[in-house]
Amino acid sequence: MNYTQKKMLLLVGLLAAVSMLSTLPLFALTAEEVIERLEANQVHETARSEGRMIITDRFGEKVTTFKSWAEGDEKSLIEFTSRQERGQKILRREDEIYLYFPDAAEVIRLQGAALRDSVLGSDMSYEDMTGGKGLLESYNAEMLGKETVDGEECYKIELHAKGRGVPYPKEIMWVDTEMFVNRKVHMFSLSDKLLKEMRMEDYTTQKGKTFPVRFIIEDKMKSNSSTEFVIESIEIGIDIPSSLFSLEELTW
Amino acid sequence: MKLGKIAWRNIRRNTRRSILSMSAVGIAAMTFVFMFSMIEGMKQDVAYNLHTFVTGEVRIQHGEFEKYKHLNPLHLGIERYTELTERLDSMEEVDMISPRIKFPTAIYKEGSTYNAQGQGVDFEREAEYQALEQYIVKGDMPRNGENEVLVADGLAKEMNLNLGDNFTLLTQTRGRGMNAITFKITGLTHYDFDGLNSSFFQAPLDRVQYFLRMDESVSEILIKLNSNYSAETFASRLDTTLTEWNRPELIARMWKDISQTYSFVVMADAIYFIIALMFFLLGSTVIINTMMMTIYERRKEIGTISAMGMTGPEVVRLFFLEAFYIAAIGSCAGVLIGIGITYPTTIYGLNFGAAMEGVDMEISQSLKPVLNLKSTVFVFLYSTFIASIASFIPSRKSAKVKPVEALRAI
Amino acid sequence: MKFIVNLAFKNLFRHKRRTLITSIAIAVGLALFILIDSMLVGIEEDSTRNLVLYETGSARIMDTQFWEEHQNLPLSHSIENPQPLLQNLDAAGIKAAPRTVFSGELIMKKDPYPEDGSIQARITAVDPVRDPEVFRIAESVSKGRFLKEDRLEVVLGAWLAEDIGAEVGYPLTIVTRTKGGFFQTIDVDIVGLANTPNPVVNRTGIFMPLETADYYLQMEGSVTQIDTNLPYQGKINEQTDKIRSTALKNRPELIVVDWKTLGKDFVALAATKSASSKVILFLVFIIAAVGISNTMLMSVYERVREIGMLRALGMRRHEIRLAFLIEAGGIGLIGASAGVLIGALLNIPLVNTGIDYSALMRDADMGYRITGIMRGLWSVRTILTAFFTGVFLSVLTAFIPTRKALRMHITDALRFQ
Repeated sequence: MNYTQKKMLLLVGLLAAVSMLSTLPLFALTAEEVIERLEANQVHETARSEGRMIITDRFGEKVTTFKSWAEGDEKSLIEFTSRQERGQKILRREDEIYLYFPDAAEVIRLQGAALRDSVLGSDMSYEDMTGGKGLLESYNAEMLGKETVDGEECYKIELHAKGRGVPYPKEIMWVDTEMFVNRKVHMFSLSDKLLKEMRMEDYTTQKGKTFPVRFIIEDKMKSNSSTEFVIESIEIGIDIPSSLFSLEELTW
Repeated sequence: MKLGKIAWRNIRRNTRRSILSMSAVGIAAMTFVFMFSMIEGMKQDVAYNLHTFVTGEVRIQHGEFEKYKHLNPLHLGIERYTELTERLDSMEEVDMISPRIKFPTAIYKEGSTYNAQGQGVDFEREAEYQALEQYIVKGDMPRNGENEVLVADGLAKEMNLNLGDNFTLLTQTRGRGMNAITFKITGLTHYDFDGLNSSFFQAPLDRVQYFLRMDESVSEILIKLNSNYSAETFASRLDTTLTEWNRPELIARMWKDISQTYSFVVMADAIYFIIALMFFLLGSTVIINTMMMTIYERRKEIGTISAMGMTGPEVVRLFFLEAFYIAAIGSCAGVLIGIGITYPTTIYGLNFGAAMEGVDMEISQSLKPVLNLKSTVFVFLYSTFIASIASFIPSRKSAKVKPVEALRAI
Repeated sequence: MKFIVNLAFKNLFRHKRRTLITSIAIAVGLALFILIDSMLVGIEEDSTRNLVLYETGSARIMDTQFWEEHQNLPLSHSIENPQPLLQNLDAAGIKAAPRTVFSGELIMKKDPYPEDGSIQARITAVDPVRDPEVFRIAESVSKGRFLKEDRLEVVLGAWLAEDIGAEVGYPLTIVTRTKGGFFQTIDVDIVGLANTPNPVVNRTGIFMPLETADYYLQMEGSVTQIDTNLPYQGKINEQTDKIRSTALKNRPELIVVDWKTLGKDFVALAATKSASSKVILFLVFIIAAVGISNTMLMSVYERVREIGMLRALGMRRHEIRLAFLIEAGGIGLIGASAGVLIGALLNIPLVNTGIDYSALMRDADMGYRITGIMRGLWSVRTILTAFFTGVFLSVLTAFIPTRKALRMHITDALRFQ
């Protein structure tokens, strides 16, 4: 190769390299990748938290306080500490839910249609608490682009249910581009009507994961119907004995 | 000539005829007595059941409760209810009071849930208010303060439970939260209406208040009044009095003003009315027919006395009097016999048993007729009236016939 | 013999008035007996009818699993591919209508409703063409109109509409779940209000077209139930057996449940079931019998002298007795025929239109307008019983005084008053 040919090759190579560099940002993240990172933030090996739930409906506001323990996304235990519900517990193992009430002699197992009931009259149902399968198993994700929510840039992702087995056939999520947490989620009916809106307000970071500690679910079909969750304290990655998530422990 | 005396003599002269006429009137009157007593009994039965199980004669409730009743708004209750019951107890019109909390619930038993209607009552008061004795078929009344419950036997059967068994129920509490509690069955009741019998149970008021987080409130107070007081006047008076007692949020309503239940009463009334009307028609027809026949039978007689000088109007009056006496005696006898037959049933009742299966309309299966003014005095007056008038037209017609022709009739 | 019959006949027409009055007594008594019986039985049937014609049908075909969990209305256990079933039922002459019943929440918004609100509800999706063959909801529409297939519309029970402040033309949103579990919303318009004799339907009834529900709930042609209408005559068990053998031959997963079992869950209906109807009929019978016998007795006693005369003329006792009994029988026949005819004629409107007693009831204060129609019921047995009893009773009550007259001395008879 003579000197000119070598120079041409170098130039072409440089050009190619430069153009490749500039296209790198375009290949940024796919919808699936965003969700994977989102879920990585959401699922903890173990977590213990204390918080309160504020339920608003046509008759007014009601506050409930609780403590909760979780292992992965399959097991969790909630114990209520507010006066009216004191001592009541909800145990979730995979897709089963058990309720413990201090005045009842037996543990109540919720099955089938009963799972659709709402927890303490809130906008969250027992069914919403179940389903540990990752979003990508149940939904097809489509990246719609970017939008600003609460002043922060978010990926706007549309989810369509793959088959049956999930309550919402369509969801739209706004995932913060830097923190990879949800800032807003919209849930739709099959006729594409907005049913519920979930907004996350506060976040905390622990052990490299960022997740929301305050979020509000609003029922868009009714005026004045919303539930606000405030997690006052949370620790993840701590030691929680597996026996805590057993039926025996529930009645103790 | 006193027509009255002649009339009497005529009656006694022809015993057979008189007895036939009297018996027609009498039997019709007798059946009327029984019929109307039965109807009155049914009406009172419906009223009693409504008063005891649903609305009382007068009901006190939160003004907004009815509007949201499908949500069972326990928070729209009567706060500090004992203040009210104390005052009500001292009122002379008030006979019995029943403070209650009604709550729909799901009974959880080995994986199945049964929908049921629960009611929290003060058993010390209820023993009298509901006359519980007559409904309890097994076991005893629960004691206030204990987790004990009285279950309708239809419901118990459906859940496969018996005396001494426990069951757990799950309900929405006052704050729209949830709670569950376990009760023990100490007694079984039996109600004659299926709808109630297969879903109803009662628990002590204080335990229900605890479990539903009601504090000192109840959802309604039912009142039964002493016999001489009108529910209507008492209810409207109480309504204003409640505001005076600093409870403007509460209202008092009489049972007939509480929509759904009263519609049944009104429907029943209408149906009874139509049946009674047809009955009357038939009975009256029989009476009229008999009287008419009597007159026609005696055309020759009429001819004779006309020929002897009695004027037309006098003839009519004579026969009218005869008819009147026969009617009076016949219906009097009929009513008395009717009372005689009806009276024992007012005590022992009529047992309909199997015929009533599957009906749920607040009518018990054993019906007690009620003798009243309408079924006795009114029947007497009506029968007499109809029978007397029934003689009018034929006797007028006959009086117009020429004596000659009348005499010719055989 | 011919002479006697002739005599009886002539006597009938000789004393027209007597014959007439007596026959009228018999006729009126029997006619009213027939009508009251028809009405009472009709009332008794009414609570059954109200349940069967507006809520349960005579019998219902469902998936066995659906029936076991019917409180929850699990759409996942519906009847797949109902078409062949319907065809079989049609072929067997059984009227059947497919329905899908599902639970949901009705959402009302402030404008045009008085305020925002929501209520839990049960919605019944019906086939607008087949449903009226089994149920009477369509003919009870008091405002607006009934449903047309495939439209986004509903018909509400009249009292429900009043409760939520709805009028014809108002919108509603139904929030529910599809067969597969997805949340679904259906925006509909109210096109009609139904005011039926059944308070449950009035208070809680919401109806929509079947095709619409099929699409929005992703039912894929399946329905939750097929309701049938069977004639009342014949035992219910026989009839459900018939359904089982015709329609359900190759469908082991389905069951038939009759209305009595279905009805247990529901509060059975208003109107009055007068169990006392037997007592009432008995009383009616007594009065009618008294009417007939009384009149008959009187008319025979009236003719004791005539009997005496006949005897004096040489007629033998048994001939006289026969003549009089035949005459009585004749009167009985005339009266009974007239009675049965009048009763039947009046029964036709009673059965078909009924008596509208809603006018008799105060309604304004109650808020809910109540429709009350009392309908009669045909009973061939009653009509035949009435007829034969009428004739028999006439003859029987003529027998006694006749016998008495025949026993007397002729001279006493001739002088009889």
